[in-house]
Amino acid sequence: MLMPKRVKYRRQHRGKMRGQAKGGTEVTFGEYGLQSTEASWITSRQIESARIAMTRYMKRGGKVWIKIFPHKPYTKKPLEVRMGSGKGAPEGWVAVVKPGKIMFEIAGVSEEVAREALRLASHKLPVKCKVVKRQEIGGESNES
Amino acid sequence: MTMTKVTTQTRESKKENTSLRAKGFVPAVVYGYKTDSKAIAVEEIELIKVLREVGRNGVMKLDVDGKTINAVLTDYQQDPIKGQILHADFLAINMSEELEVAVTVTPVGDAVGVKEGGSLTQPNREVTVKVKPSDIPDHIEVDVSELNIGETLTLGEVRDKIDFDVQEEDDYALVSIAAPRSDEELEELDSTEDEETTEEDATDVEATEEAPEEEKAE
Repeated sequence: MLMPKRVKYRRQHRGKMRGQAKGGTEVTFGEYGLQSTEASWITSRQIESARIAMTRYMKRGGKVWIKIFPHKPYTKKPLEVRMGSGKGAPEGWVAVVKPGKIMFEIAGVSEEVAREALRLASHKLPVKCKVVKRQEIGGESNES
Repeated sequence: MTMTKVTTQTRESKKENTSLRAKGFVPAVVYGYKTDSKAIAVEEIELIKVLREVGRNGVMKLDVDGKTINAVLTDYQQDPIKGQILHADFLAINMSEELEVAVTVTPVGDAVGVKEGGSLTQPNREVTVKVKPSDIPDHIEVDVSELNIGETLTLGEVRDKIDFDVQEEDDYALVSIAAPRSDEELEELDSTEDEETTEEDATDVEATEEAPEEEKAE
């Protein structure tokens, strides 16, 4: 699973997820991409699960790029503990995803296979997604 | 070479931009050869139609205040969700002077490596070409039929076959054929359960700095 090797501080504030993605909104490496249309935390387990779903469907062919990384730690207090007494222990890692972010990219497979693989991956994620194709300005609409 | 005319209107301030976009216009700016920087607006549908006609690097004629300017689209911003063009930059050009443009590289032919199960990837999809505006190509084709698994086609290998002055170095990778997944990798995928948790724990990650004293005291 993806997680940072070393961090400056063990615990972080939760933060806000306002607005749209600032970067990573275009298909850059592959031919097809999975774009988020909502804002959410994506855990490292969900990323791994989506990757496995895609590669399992694509079998031998194709290449997958994961364009998000879970930099942010999230914490949890133990069960049956009263409020207070400091912040909980780190529980896992999440990537903050905002609308427009391309999370995964695929190349080297047919359009049909790529769309199905990305659809399967989208079911592992807590956000609504759309499959986008690499395009230049003025190109045909390619969303599904 | 095709040239198409785009009618423009001038705009005064940034405040208008939102209302212009709502009316189907794209706020834009034109600058360059014998042209002072000028804020304009073009109709989005017209711009898209012209771009489909001339291509991304094509020369278009901008009608600005009754004056016709030869220009190319140098930059643009797009809404990531809706796909709406938010802003466009037009560069006025001198038709007799060479300019640098990014041209797409298109692989042609069925690579040997792909037939054997490899997948074709393009580390770099564009090359910078120095060319006269009238000769700007839509794309540059490179033959990949002899590429095997694990091989990479660099610019140096195909430079003689390209008729244009490409600015990048010889080791600039254009196309490579990645090896297919091995049996072990496939087995690993089949045996991995989606819900499986690995041994790694979030608490294992080392923090380089401790939290401030006040926080610790709480």
